[in-house]
Amino acid sequence: MSGWLAIYRREMLSLWVSPLAWVLLFVFLMIQGVSFYLMVQHFANFSGASMDYGPVAAYFGQSIFIPMSLIILCPALTMRLFAEERRSGTIEALLTAPVSAWGVVIGKYLATLTTYVLMWAPTLLYVIILRKTGTVDWPVVGASYLGLFGIGAGYLALGMLMSAVSKSQLIALIMSLLFIFGLFILGIGEYVFEPGPLRDACAHVSVFSQLVDFSKGIIDARRLVFDLSLVALPLFLTARVVDSWRLD
Amino acid sequence: MIRAERLTKDYGTVVAVRGLSFHVGKGEVVGFLGPNGAGKSTTLRMLAGFIGPTEGSVEIGGFDVQADSIEARRQLGYMPETSPLYPEMRVGEYLRFRAEIKKVPRAKRRAAVDRAMELAVVTEMRDTLIQHLSKGYRQRVGLADALVASPPLLILDEPTAGLDPNQIREVRRLIRGLGEEHTILLSTHILSEVESTCSRALVIDRGRLVAEGSIEELRALREADGAMLSLRDPAGVALAALRRRTDIQNLRQEAGAEPALYRVRFEFVKEGGSKGPAERDSKGAKGAHGSGEHADVTLESIISELVQLGVFVREASKNRASLEDVFAQLTQGEAS
Repeated sequence: MSGWLAIYRREMLSLWVSPLAWVLLFVFLMIQGVSFYLMVQHFANFSGASMDYGPVAAYFGQSIFIPMSLIILCPALTMRLFAEERRSGTIEALLTAPVSAWGVVIGKYLATLTTYVLMWAPTLLYVIILRKTGTVDWPVVGASYLGLFGIGAGYLALGMLMSAVSKSQLIALIMSLLFIFGLFILGIGEYVFEPGPLRDACAHVSVFSQLVDFSKGIIDARRLVFDLSLVALPLFLTARVVDSWRLD
Repeated sequence: MIRAERLTKDYGTVVAVRGLSFHVGKGEVVGFLGPNGAGKSTTLRMLAGFIGPTEGSVEIGGFDVQADSIEARRQLGYMPETSPLYPEMRVGEYLRFRAEIKKVPRAKRRAAVDRAMELAVVTEMRDTLIQHLSKGYRQRVGLADALVASPPLLILDEPTAGLDPNQIREVRRLIRGLGEEHTILLSTHILSEVESTCSRALVIDRGRLVAEGSIEELRALREADGAMLSLRDPAGVALAALRRRTDIQNLRQEAGAEPALYRVRFEFVKEGGSKGPAERDSKGAKGAHGSGEHADVTLESIISELVQLGVFVREASKNRASLEDVFAQLTQGEAS
Protein backbone atom coordinates (compact mmCIF):
# COMPACT_ATOMS: atom_id res chain seq x y z
CA MET A 1 0.00 0.00 0.00
CA SER A 2 3.02 2.25 0.29
CA GLY A 3 2.97 5.35 -1.87
CA TRP A 4 -0.76 5.25 -2.64
CA LEU A 5 -1.38 8.82 -1.52
CA ALA A 6 1.19 10.32 -3.89
CA ILE A 7 -0.24 8.25 -6.74
CA TYR A 8 -3.76 9.23 -5.78
CA ARG A 9 -2.89 12.93 -5.90
CA ARG A 10 -1.09 12.59 -9.22
CA GLU A 11 -4.01 10.72 -10.76
CA MET A 12 -6.45 13.38 -9.55
CA LEU A 13 -4.31 16.07 -11.11
CA SER A 14 -3.96 14.15 -14.37
CA LEU A 15 -7.68 13.48 -14.56
CA TRP A 16 -8.77 17.04 -13.92
CA VAL A 17 -6.21 18.86 -16.05
CA SER A 18 -7.24 16.77 -19.04
CA PRO A 19 -10.25 17.87 -21.05
CA LEU A 20 -11.66 14.36 -20.75
CA ALA A 21 -12.94 14.77 -17.19
CA TRP A 22 -14.62 18.07 -18.02
CA VAL A 23 -16.21 16.74 -21.19
CA LEU A 24 -17.49 13.72 -19.30
CA LEU A 25 -18.79 15.93 -16.51
CA PHE A 26 -20.57 18.17 -19.01
CA VAL A 27 -22.22 15.30 -20.89
CA PHE A 28 -23.05 13.48 -17.68
CA LEU A 29 -24.74 16.52 -16.10
CA MET A 30 -26.61 17.25 -19.34
CA ILE A 31 -28.05 13.76 -19.29
CA GLN A 32 -28.92 14.00 -15.61
CA GLY A 33 -30.49 17.39 -16.20
CA VAL A 34 -32.69 16.05 -18.99
CA SER A 35 -33.63 13.09 -16.84
CA PHE A 36 -34.54 15.36 -13.94
CA TYR A 37 -36.54 17.67 -16.19
CA LEU A 38 -38.55 14.79 -17.63
CA MET A 39 -39.23 13.44 -14.16
CA VAL A 40 -40.40 16.79 -12.82
CA GLN A 41 -42.64 17.31 -15.84
CA HIS A 42 -44.11 13.86 -15.38
CA PHE A 43 -44.98 14.58 -11.76
CA ALA A 44 -46.35 18.03 -12.65
CA ASN A 45 -48.72 16.50 -15.22
CA PHE A 46 -50.01 13.85 -12.86
CA SER A 47 -50.01 15.91 -9.70
CA GLY A 48 -53.37 14.51 -8.61
CA ALA A 49 -52.56 10.86 -9.19
CA SER A 50 -51.36 8.82 -6.28
CA MET A 51 -48.17 6.94 -6.96
CA ASP A 52 -46.23 4.34 -5.07
CA TYR A 53 -43.00 6.27 -5.40
CA GLY A 54 -41.97 9.86 -4.89
CA PRO A 55 -39.90 12.13 -7.11
CA VAL A 56 -36.59 11.04 -5.54
CA ALA A 57 -37.35 7.39 -6.14
CA ALA A 58 -38.45 8.24 -9.67
CA TYR A 59 -35.32 10.17 -10.44
CA PHE A 60 -32.90 7.57 -9.09
CA GLY A 61 -34.83 4.40 -9.65
CA GLN A 62 -37.19 4.73 -12.60
CA SER A 63 -34.96 6.38 -15.15
CA ILE A 64 -33.07 4.46 -17.78
CA PHE A 65 -30.72 7.45 -18.04
CA ILE A 66 -28.79 6.57 -14.91
CA PRO A 67 -27.71 3.03 -15.75
CA MET A 68 -27.03 4.05 -19.35
CA SER A 69 -24.88 7.00 -18.34
CA LEU A 70 -22.92 4.83 -15.90
CA ILE A 71 -22.18 2.35 -18.67
CA ILE A 72 -20.43 5.15 -20.58
CA LEU A 73 -19.04 7.18 -17.70
CA CYS A 74 -17.20 4.50 -15.73
CA PRO A 75 -15.20 2.95 -18.59
CA ALA A 76 -14.29 6.45 -19.82
CA LEU A 77 -12.95 7.36 -16.40
CA THR A 78 -10.85 4.23 -16.04
CA MET A 79 -9.64 3.53 -19.58
CA ARG A 80 -6.43 5.53 -19.33
CA LEU A 81 -5.36 4.40 -15.83
CA PHE A 82 -2.85 1.76 -16.90
CA ALA A 83 -3.20 1.61 -20.68
CA GLU A 84 -1.88 5.15 -21.10
CA GLU A 85 1.07 4.57 -18.77
CA ARG A 86 2.02 1.44 -20.66
CA ARG A 87 1.68 3.09 -24.04
CA SER A 88 3.77 6.11 -23.10
CA GLY A 89 6.27 4.10 -21.06
CA THR A 90 5.76 6.04 -17.82
CA ILE A 91 4.87 2.74 -16.19
CA GLU A 92 8.60 1.96 -16.24
CA ALA A 93 9.40 4.95 -14.02
CA LEU A 94 6.40 4.21 -11.82
CA LEU A 95 7.16 0.55 -11.18
CA THR A 96 10.87 1.05 -10.59
CA ALA A 97 10.07 3.45 -7.75
CA PRO A 98 9.72 1.80 -4.33
CA VAL A 99 5.94 1.49 -4.44
CA SER A 100 4.02 -1.75 -4.06
CA ALA A 101 1.59 -3.00 -6.67
CA TRP A 102 -1.21 -2.42 -4.16
CA GLY A 103 -0.06 1.14 -3.63
CA VAL A 104 -0.36 1.80 -7.36
CA VAL A 105 -3.71 0.03 -7.69
CA ILE A 106 -5.33 1.64 -4.64
CA GLY A 107 -4.03 5.12 -5.47
CA LYS A 108 -5.36 4.96 -9.01
CA TYR A 109 -8.65 3.38 -8.01
CA LEU A 110 -9.44 5.87 -5.27
CA ALA A 111 -8.70 8.73 -7.67
CA THR A 112 -11.33 7.52 -10.14
CA LEU A 113 -13.75 6.78 -7.33
CA THR A 114 -13.33 10.31 -5.98
CA THR A 115 -13.85 11.71 -9.46
CA TYR A 116 -17.00 9.60 -9.80
CA VAL A 117 -18.33 10.97 -6.52
CA LEU A 118 -17.48 14.52 -7.57
CA MET A 119 -19.42 14.01 -10.80
CA TRP A 120 -22.50 13.05 -8.86
CA ALA A 121 -22.12 15.86 -6.37
CA PRO A 122 -23.88 18.55 -8.49
CA THR A 123 -27.00 16.36 -8.67
CA LEU A 124 -27.56 17.14 -4.99
CA LEU A 125 -28.91 20.43 -6.35
CA TYR A 126 -31.89 18.55 -7.77
CA VAL A 127 -32.73 17.25 -4.33
CA ILE A 128 -32.46 20.76 -2.96
CA ILE A 129 -34.78 22.00 -5.71
CA LEU A 130 -37.28 19.27 -4.82
CA ARG A 131 -37.08 20.31 -1.20
CA LYS A 132 -38.33 23.80 -2.16
CA THR A 133 -41.60 22.32 -3.34
CA GLY A 134 -42.20 19.67 -0.75
CA THR A 135 -40.64 17.37 1.75
CA VAL A 136 -37.71 15.22 0.89
CA ASP A 137 -37.14 11.88 2.53
CA TRP A 138 -33.43 12.24 3.32
CA PRO A 139 -32.80 8.58 4.25
CA VAL A 140 -34.15 7.64 0.82
CA VAL A 141 -31.81 10.15 -0.78
CA GLY A 142 -28.93 8.68 1.22
CA ALA A 143 -29.87 5.13 0.22
CA SER A 144 -30.11 6.18 -3.43
CA TYR A 145 -26.65 7.69 -3.42
CA LEU A 146 -25.31 4.64 -1.56
CA GLY A 147 -26.73 2.45 -4.33
CA LEU A 148 -25.13 4.60 -7.02
CA PHE A 149 -21.84 4.57 -5.14
CA GLY A 150 -21.87 0.79 -4.85
CA ILE A 151 -22.64 0.28 -8.53
CA GLY A 152 -20.07 2.85 -9.66
CA ALA A 153 -17.40 1.42 -7.37
CA GLY A 154 -17.80 -1.99 -8.99
CA TYR A 155 -17.86 -0.63 -12.53
CA LEU A 156 -14.73 1.45 -11.92
CA ALA A 157 -12.85 -1.52 -10.49
CA LEU A 158 -13.80 -3.59 -13.54
CA GLY A 159 -12.75 -0.75 -15.82
CA MET A 160 -9.39 -0.47 -14.12
CA LEU A 161 -8.75 -4.18 -14.57
CA MET A 162 -9.54 -3.84 -18.27
CA SER A 163 -7.14 -0.92 -18.51
CA ALA A 164 -4.42 -3.03 -16.88
CA VAL A 165 -4.82 -5.90 -19.31
CA SER A 166 -4.88 -3.83 -22.50
CA LYS A 167 -2.20 -1.60 -23.93
CA SER A 168 -4.60 0.73 -25.68
CA GLN A 169 -7.17 2.99 -24.08
CA LEU A 170 -9.66 2.22 -26.81
CA ILE A 171 -9.46 -1.54 -26.20
CA ALA A 172 -9.77 -0.91 -22.45
CA LEU A 173 -12.84 1.25 -23.07
CA ILE A 174 -14.52 -1.30 -25.32
CA MET A 175 -13.77 -4.25 -23.07
CA SER A 176 -15.11 -2.58 -19.95
CA LEU A 177 -18.15 -1.35 -21.89
CA LEU A 178 -18.83 -4.92 -22.92
CA PHE A 179 -18.41 -6.24 -19.39
CA ILE A 180 -20.61 -3.60 -17.80
CA PHE A 181 -23.20 -3.84 -20.53
CA GLY A 182 -23.12 -7.61 -20.05
CA LEU A 183 -23.92 -7.19 -16.36
CA PHE A 184 -26.76 -4.85 -17.29
CA ILE A 185 -28.18 -7.33 -19.81
CA LEU A 186 -27.90 -10.10 -17.23
CA GLY A 187 -30.09 -7.97 -14.97
CA ILE A 188 -32.76 -7.78 -17.64
CA GLY A 189 -32.94 -11.55 -17.36
CA GLU A 190 -35.05 -10.93 -14.29
CA TYR A 191 -37.90 -9.91 -16.55
CA VAL A 192 -37.24 -12.60 -19.16
CA PHE A 193 -36.82 -15.90 -17.34
CA GLU A 194 -39.44 -17.96 -15.57
CA PRO A 195 -39.28 -17.86 -11.76
CA GLY A 196 -36.45 -20.10 -10.61
CA PRO A 197 -32.78 -20.05 -9.71
CA LEU A 198 -31.79 -18.43 -13.02
CA ARG A 199 -34.18 -15.57 -12.52
CA ASP A 200 -33.06 -15.18 -8.90
CA ALA A 201 -29.46 -15.00 -10.02
CA CYS A 202 -30.29 -12.39 -12.61
CA ALA A 203 -32.26 -10.34 -10.10
CA HIS A 204 -29.37 -10.58 -7.69
CA VAL A 205 -26.84 -9.03 -10.09
CA SER A 206 -29.29 -6.62 -11.70
CA VAL A 207 -28.12 -3.04 -11.59
CA PHE A 208 -31.58 -1.82 -12.39
CA SER A 209 -33.20 -3.68 -9.50
CA GLN A 210 -30.53 -2.37 -7.18
CA LEU A 211 -31.35 1.19 -8.20
CA VAL A 212 -35.09 0.58 -7.82
CA ASP A 213 -34.62 -0.92 -4.34
CA PHE A 214 -32.18 1.65 -3.03
CA SER A 215 -34.20 4.55 -4.43
CA LYS A 216 -37.10 3.31 -2.32
CA GLY A 217 -34.87 3.32 0.73
CA ILE A 218 -34.47 -0.45 0.80
CA ILE A 219 -30.86 -1.17 1.64
CA ASP A 220 -30.30 -4.83 0.91
CA ALA A 221 -27.02 -6.04 2.37
CA ARG A 222 -26.78 -8.76 -0.30
CA ARG A 223 -26.60 -6.08 -2.98
CA LEU A 224 -23.84 -4.30 -1.11
CA VAL A 225 -21.95 -7.57 -0.74
CA PHE A 226 -22.29 -8.10 -4.47
CA ASP A 227 -21.03 -4.59 -5.17
CA LEU A 228 -18.16 -5.10 -2.77
CA SER A 229 -17.13 -8.33 -4.46
CA LEU A 230 -17.30 -6.53 -7.79
CA VAL A 231 -14.77 -4.10 -6.31
CA ALA A 232 -12.52 -6.55 -4.47
CA LEU A 233 -12.07 -9.17 -7.17
CA PRO A 234 -11.01 -6.79 -9.97
CA LEU A 235 -8.74 -4.87 -7.59
CA PHE A 236 -7.07 -8.08 -6.53
CA LEU A 237 -6.64 -9.20 -10.13
CA THR A 238 -5.28 -5.80 -11.14
CA ALA A 239 -2.66 -5.96 -8.40
CA ARG A 240 -1.71 -9.44 -9.63
CA VAL A 241 -1.44 -8.15 -13.21
CA VAL A 242 0.79 -5.27 -12.09
CA ASP A 243 2.98 -7.68 -10.14
CA SER A 244 3.18 -9.99 -13.13
CA TRP A 245 4.74 -7.24 -15.27
CA ARG A 246 7.52 -7.02 -12.75
CA LEU A 247 8.03 -10.74 -12.40
CA ASP A 248 8.16 -11.82 -15.98
CA MET B 1 26.36 -2.74 -5.05
CA ILE B 2 25.10 -4.77 -7.98
CA ARG B 3 25.53 -8.50 -8.21
CA ALA B 4 24.03 -10.15 -11.25
CA GLU B 5 24.17 -13.92 -11.46
CA ARG B 6 23.60 -15.79 -14.72
CA LEU B 7 20.92 -13.34 -15.84
CA THR B 8 18.89 -14.63 -18.75
CA LYS B 9 15.93 -13.03 -20.46
CA ASP B 10 14.11 -15.16 -22.95
CA TYR B 11 11.31 -13.44 -24.85
CA GLY B 12 10.22 -16.67 -26.45
CA THR B 13 11.26 -15.75 -29.97
CA VAL B 14 14.43 -13.88 -28.98
CA VAL B 15 16.88 -14.51 -26.19
CA ALA B 16 17.82 -10.94 -25.29
CA VAL B 17 20.26 -11.72 -22.49
CA ARG B 18 22.05 -15.02 -21.90
CA GLY B 19 23.77 -16.04 -18.71
CA LEU B 20 25.11 -12.59 -17.87
CA SER B 21 27.09 -12.43 -14.61
CA PHE B 22 28.89 -9.38 -13.30
CA HIS B 23 29.15 -7.20 -10.29
CA VAL B 24 29.61 -3.54 -9.66
CA GLY B 25 31.37 -2.48 -6.48
CA LYS B 26 30.50 0.44 -4.28
CA GLY B 27 31.77 3.76 -5.64
CA GLU B 28 32.50 2.46 -9.14
CA VAL B 29 31.39 4.22 -12.30
CA VAL B 30 30.83 1.46 -14.77
CA GLY B 31 30.01 1.75 -18.44
CA PHE B 32 27.72 -0.84 -19.93
CA LEU B 33 28.78 -0.95 -23.51
CA GLY B 34 27.29 -2.66 -26.49
CA PRO B 35 25.88 -2.09 -29.96
CA ASN B 36 22.19 -1.38 -30.38
CA GLY B 37 20.15 -4.45 -29.64
CA ALA B 38 22.85 -6.10 -27.54
CA GLY B 39 20.53 -6.42 -24.56
CA LYS B 40 21.70 -3.38 -22.61
CA SER B 41 18.27 -1.96 -21.88
CA THR B 42 16.82 -5.37 -21.11
CA THR B 43 19.60 -5.98 -18.60
CA LEU B 44 19.18 -2.58 -16.96
CA ARG B 45 15.44 -3.12 -16.73
CA MET B 46 16.07 -6.38 -14.93
CA LEU B 47 18.48 -4.64 -12.57
CA ALA B 48 15.94 -1.92 -11.86
CA GLY B 49 13.26 -4.51 -11.19
CA PHE B 50 10.98 -3.45 -14.04
CA ILE B 51 11.04 -6.86 -15.70
CA GLY B 52 11.93 -10.17 -14.15
CA PRO B 53 14.70 -12.41 -15.48
CA THR B 54 13.79 -15.75 -17.03
CA GLU B 55 16.69 -17.21 -15.08
CA GLY B 56 19.30 -15.94 -12.69
CA SER B 57 19.12 -13.32 -9.98
CA VAL B 58 20.04 -9.75 -9.18
CA GLU B 59 21.06 -8.25 -5.87
CA ILE B 60 21.09 -4.50 -5.38
CA GLY B 61 22.91 -3.38 -2.26
CA GLY B 62 22.39 -6.83 -0.77
CA PHE B 63 18.64 -6.99 -1.52
CA ASP B 64 17.28 -9.47 -4.00
CA VAL B 65 15.36 -7.60 -6.71
CA GLN B 66 12.65 -10.25 -6.84
CA ALA B 67 12.25 -11.19 -3.19
CA ASP B 68 13.05 -7.85 -1.54
CA SER B 69 11.78 -5.77 -4.39
CA ILE B 70 10.83 -2.58 -2.54
CA GLU B 71 14.07 -2.41 -0.53
CA ALA B 72 16.14 -3.10 -3.64
CA ARG B 73 14.33 -0.33 -5.51
CA ARG B 74 14.97 2.10 -2.68
CA GLN B 75 18.70 1.67 -3.30
CA LEU B 76 18.60 2.91 -6.85
CA GLY B 77 17.72 5.79 -9.06
CA TYR B 78 16.85 4.51 -12.51
CA MET B 79 16.64 6.58 -15.62
CA PRO B 80 14.90 4.66 -18.41
CA GLU B 81 16.11 4.99 -21.97
CA THR B 82 13.34 7.22 -23.30
CA SER B 83 12.81 9.24 -20.08
CA PRO B 84 9.09 8.66 -20.02
CA LEU B 85 7.40 11.54 -18.16
CA TYR B 86 3.83 12.66 -17.60
CA PRO B 87 3.26 15.37 -20.21
CA GLU B 88 0.48 17.07 -18.24
CA MET B 89 2.63 17.79 -15.20
CA ARG B 90 5.01 20.65 -14.53
CA VAL B 91 8.66 19.84 -13.95
CA GLY B 92 8.64 20.83 -10.26
CA GLU B 93 5.35 19.05 -9.71
CA TYR B 94 6.64 15.88 -11.30
CA LEU B 95 9.82 15.85 -9.26
CA ARG B 96 7.88 16.47 -6.04
CA PHE B 97 5.68 13.50 -6.93
CA ARG B 98 8.72 11.36 -7.64
CA ALA B 99 10.37 12.43 -4.37
CA GLU B 100 7.22 11.48 -2.52
CA ILE B 101 6.86 8.02 -4.00
CA LYS B 102 10.56 7.48 -3.41
CA LYS B 103 9.91 8.13 0.28
CA VAL B 104 11.88 11.33 0.69
CA PRO B 105 10.59 12.63 4.05
CA ARG B 106 8.14 15.50 3.69
CA ALA B 107 10.42 18.00 5.44
CA LYS B 108 13.31 17.27 3.08
CA ARG B 109 11.30 17.03 -0.11
CA ARG B 110 11.57 20.63 -1.25
CA ALA B 111 15.34 20.69 -0.68
CA ALA B 112 15.74 17.35 -2.46
CA VAL B 113 13.78 18.57 -5.49
CA ASP B 114 15.72 21.84 -5.62
CA ARG B 115 19.03 20.02 -5.41
CA ALA B 116 18.09 17.52 -8.13
CA MET B 117 16.90 20.33 -10.42
CA GLU B 118 20.10 22.23 -9.84
CA LEU B 119 22.32 19.22 -10.51
CA ALA B 120 20.50 18.37 -13.71
CA VAL B 121 20.27 22.05 -14.71
CA VAL B 122 16.50 22.20 -15.08
CA THR B 123 15.77 24.75 -12.36
CA GLU B 124 14.62 27.38 -14.85
CA MET B 125 12.06 24.90 -16.22
CA ARG B 126 10.44 24.29 -12.83
CA ASP B 127 7.04 25.68 -13.89
CA THR B 128 7.07 24.46 -17.48
CA LEU B 129 4.72 21.71 -18.56
CA ILE B 130 6.69 18.63 -19.47
CA GLN B 131 4.90 18.39 -22.82
CA HIS B 132 6.54 21.70 -23.80
CA LEU B 133 10.07 20.54 -23.04
CA SER B 134 12.65 19.69 -25.68
CA LYS B 135 14.15 16.21 -25.79
CA GLY B 136 17.30 17.43 -24.06
CA TYR B 137 15.36 18.89 -21.17
CA ARG B 138 13.21 15.80 -20.83
CA GLN B 139 16.35 13.73 -20.62
CA ARG B 140 17.63 15.97 -17.85
CA VAL B 141 14.34 15.88 -15.97
CA GLY B 142 14.71 12.09 -16.12
CA LEU B 143 18.16 12.48 -14.65
CA ALA B 144 16.86 14.80 -11.93
CA ASP B 145 14.26 12.15 -11.15
CA ALA B 146 16.96 9.50 -10.75
CA LEU B 147 18.85 11.83 -8.40
CA VAL B 148 15.99 13.17 -6.35
CA ALA B 149 16.09 10.64 -3.53
CA SER B 150 19.94 10.62 -3.48
CA PRO B 151 20.10 6.84 -3.88
CA PRO B 152 23.46 5.14 -3.45
CA LEU B 153 23.18 3.60 -6.92
CA LEU B 154 22.31 5.26 -10.21
CA ILE B 155 21.36 3.20 -13.25
CA LEU B 156 21.27 5.40 -16.33
CA ASP B 157 20.13 4.01 -19.66
CA GLU B 158 21.83 6.01 -22.42
CA PRO B 159 21.89 9.27 -20.48
CA THR B 160 23.26 11.31 -23.38
CA ALA B 161 21.09 9.93 -26.19
CA GLY B 162 19.39 12.73 -28.09
CA LEU B 163 21.41 15.57 -26.59
CA ASP B 164 23.43 18.14 -28.50
CA PRO B 165 27.23 18.19 -28.09
CA ASN B 166 27.19 20.91 -25.42
CA GLN B 167 24.57 19.11 -23.39
CA ILE B 168 26.47 15.86 -23.78
CA ARG B 169 29.57 17.50 -22.35
CA GLU B 170 27.53 18.90 -19.47
CA VAL B 171 25.90 15.59 -18.67
CA ARG B 172 29.24 13.78 -18.78
CA ARG B 173 30.72 16.35 -16.43
CA LEU B 174 27.73 15.88 -14.15
CA ILE B 175 28.13 12.10 -14.17
CA ARG B 176 31.82 12.40 -13.32
CA GLY B 177 30.88 14.65 -10.40
CA LEU B 178 28.16 12.29 -9.23
CA GLY B 179 30.59 9.40 -9.41
CA GLU B 180 32.28 10.78 -6.33
CA GLU B 181 29.37 9.92 -4.07
CA HIS B 182 27.27 7.49 -6.08
CA THR B 183 27.84 4.15 -7.65
CA ILE B 184 26.86 4.51 -11.29
CA LEU B 185 26.08 2.04 -14.03
CA LEU B 186 25.41 3.71 -17.35
CA SER B 187 24.74 2.14 -20.68
CA THR B 188 25.88 3.54 -23.97
CA HIS B 189 26.87 2.51 -27.45
CA ILE B 190 29.34 5.40 -27.65
CA LEU B 191 32.83 4.39 -26.64
CA SER B 192 34.21 7.82 -25.97
CA GLU B 193 31.48 8.25 -23.41
CA VAL B 194 32.81 5.33 -21.41
CA GLU B 195 36.33 6.68 -21.77
CA SER B 196 35.37 10.11 -20.52
CA THR B 197 33.14 9.11 -17.62
CA CYS B 198 33.76 5.57 -16.44
CA SER B 199 36.42 3.77 -14.49
CA ARG B 200 35.43 0.36 -15.75
CA ALA B 201 33.44 -1.08 -18.61
CA LEU B 202 31.40 -4.16 -19.35
CA VAL B 203 31.09 -4.92 -23.02
CA ILE B 204 28.12 -7.00 -24.10
CA ASP B 205 27.05 -8.28 -27.43
CA ARG B 206 24.06 -10.40 -28.30
CA GLY B 207 23.24 -10.73 -24.63
CA ARG B 208 26.66 -12.04 -23.61
CA LEU B 209 29.51 -10.43 -21.77
CA VAL B 210 32.39 -10.27 -24.24
CA ALA B 211 34.87 -8.15 -22.28
CA GLU B 212 35.23 -6.56 -18.92
CA GLY B 213 37.95 -4.43 -17.42
CA SER B 214 39.13 -1.01 -16.39
CA ILE B 215 39.35 1.67 -19.05
CA GLU B 216 43.13 1.25 -19.04
CA GLU B 217 42.75 -2.44 -19.61
CA LEU B 218 40.35 -1.90 -22.45
CA ARG B 219 42.57 0.74 -23.88
CA ALA B 220 45.46 -1.68 -23.67
CA LEU B 221 43.48 -4.00 -25.87
CA ARG B 222 43.60 -1.46 -28.61
CA GLU B 223 47.13 -0.40 -27.74
CA ALA B 224 49.29 -0.58 -30.82
CA ASP B 225 48.99 -3.90 -32.36
CA GLY B 226 51.00 -2.59 -35.24
CA ALA B 227 53.19 0.13 -36.65
CA MET B 228 54.04 1.83 -39.91
CA LEU B 229 57.49 2.96 -41.01
CA SER B 230 58.27 5.21 -43.92
CA LEU B 231 61.76 4.40 -45.15
CA ARG B 232 64.38 5.55 -47.62
CA ASP B 233 66.47 2.51 -48.17
CA PRO B 234 69.17 2.98 -50.86
CA ALA B 235 70.90 -0.28 -49.99
CA GLY B 236 67.68 -2.31 -49.90
CA VAL B 237 68.48 -4.02 -46.62
CA ALA B 238 65.54 -2.97 -44.46
CA LEU B 239 63.04 -5.64 -45.48
CA ALA B 240 65.47 -8.46 -44.97
CA ALA B 241 66.38 -7.10 -41.53
CA LEU B 242 62.75 -6.79 -40.55
CA ARG B 243 61.94 -10.31 -41.73
CA ARG B 244 64.64 -11.68 -39.47
CA ARG B 245 62.99 -10.24 -36.36
CA THR B 246 60.76 -12.58 -34.35
CA ASP B 247 58.92 -9.88 -32.42
CA ILE B 248 56.93 -8.64 -35.42
CA GLN B 249 54.68 -10.34 -37.93
CA ASN B 250 52.51 -9.76 -41.00
CA LEU B 251 55.06 -7.56 -42.69
CA ARG B 252 53.65 -5.71 -45.69
CA GLN B 253 55.30 -3.31 -48.11
CA GLU B 254 53.56 -0.35 -49.73
CA ALA B 255 54.56 2.43 -52.07
CA GLY B 256 55.62 5.61 -50.29
CA ALA B 257 54.65 9.22 -50.78
CA GLU B 258 57.76 9.88 -52.91
CA PRO B 259 59.38 7.54 -55.44
CA ALA B 260 62.42 7.03 -53.24
CA LEU B 261 60.34 6.10 -50.21
CA TYR B 262 58.39 3.05 -49.34
CA ARG B 263 56.31 2.09 -46.39
CA VAL B 264 56.25 -1.05 -44.35
CA ARG B 265 53.52 -2.08 -42.02
CA PHE B 266 53.69 -4.85 -39.46
CA GLU B 267 52.14 -6.09 -36.28
CA PHE B 268 53.82 -6.72 -33.00
CA VAL B 269 53.87 -10.21 -31.63
CA LYS B 270 52.27 -9.95 -28.25
CA GLU B 271 54.25 -10.79 -25.18
CA GLY B 272 53.58 -14.19 -23.69
CA GLY B 273 51.67 -15.55 -26.65
CA SER B 274 48.53 -14.11 -28.20
CA LYS B 275 45.87 -12.95 -25.80
CA GLY B 276 42.50 -12.87 -27.39
CA PRO B 277 40.44 -9.80 -26.68
CA ALA B 278 37.71 -12.01 -25.26
CA GLU B 279 40.12 -12.88 -22.47
CA ARG B 280 38.29 -11.39 -19.55
CA ASP B 281 40.18 -12.21 -16.40
CA SER B 282 42.17 -9.30 -15.07
CA LYS B 283 45.40 -11.21 -15.56
CA GLY B 284 44.83 -11.48 -19.26
CA ALA B 285 44.01 -7.80 -19.49
CA LYS B 286 47.12 -6.90 -17.51
CA GLY B 287 49.17 -8.90 -19.98
CA ALA B 288 47.67 -6.96 -22.84
CA HIS B 289 48.49 -3.76 -21.05
CA GLY B 290 52.11 -4.84 -20.76
CA SER B 291 52.28 -5.29 -24.51
CA GLY B 292 51.56 -1.58 -24.93
CA GLU B 293 54.94 -0.70 -23.45
CA HIS B 294 56.43 -3.71 -25.12
CA ALA B 295 55.39 -2.30 -28.48
CA ASP B 296 57.21 0.96 -27.78
CA VAL B 297 60.40 -0.84 -26.86
CA THR B 298 60.16 -3.06 -29.91
CA LEU B 299 59.61 -0.12 -32.20
CA GLU B 300 62.58 1.75 -30.75
CA SER B 301 64.87 -1.22 -31.23
CA ILE B 302 63.69 -1.68 -34.82
CA ILE B 303 64.42 1.93 -35.65
CA SER B 304 67.87 1.87 -34.15
CA GLU B 305 68.67 -1.36 -35.98
CA LEU B 306 67.53 0.11 -39.30
CA VAL B 307 69.53 3.30 -38.73
CA GLN B 308 72.62 1.26 -38.01
CA LEU B 309 72.10 -0.55 -41.29
CA GLY B 310 72.11 2.79 -43.09
CA VAL B 311 68.38 3.00 -43.66
CA PHE B 312 66.82 6.46 -43.33
CA VAL B 313 63.67 6.40 -41.25
CA ARG B 314 61.50 9.26 -42.39
CA GLU B 315 58.43 8.49 -40.32
CA ALA B 316 57.40 6.01 -37.71
CA SER B 317 53.99 5.66 -36.16
CA LYS B 318 52.20 3.11 -34.12
CA ASN B 319 48.75 2.55 -35.43
CA ARG B 320 46.61 2.72 -32.35
CA ALA B 321 43.51 0.87 -33.17
CA SER B 322 40.69 3.09 -31.99
CA LEU B 323 38.49 1.85 -29.19
CA GLU B 324 35.91 1.59 -31.94
CA ASP B 325 38.10 -1.04 -33.60
CA VAL B 326 38.43 -2.92 -30.36
CA PHE B 327 34.72 -2.72 -29.95
CA ALA B 328 34.10 -3.99 -33.46
CA GLN B 329 36.67 -6.70 -32.90
CA LEU B 330 35.06 -7.73 -29.63
CA THR B 331 31.53 -7.75 -30.89
CA GLN B 332 32.14 -9.13 -34.36
CA GLY B 333 34.32 -11.95 -33.17
CA GLU B 334 31.16 -13.56 -31.91
CA ALA B 335 29.38 -13.24 -35.20
CA SER B 336 31.82 -15.25 -37.25
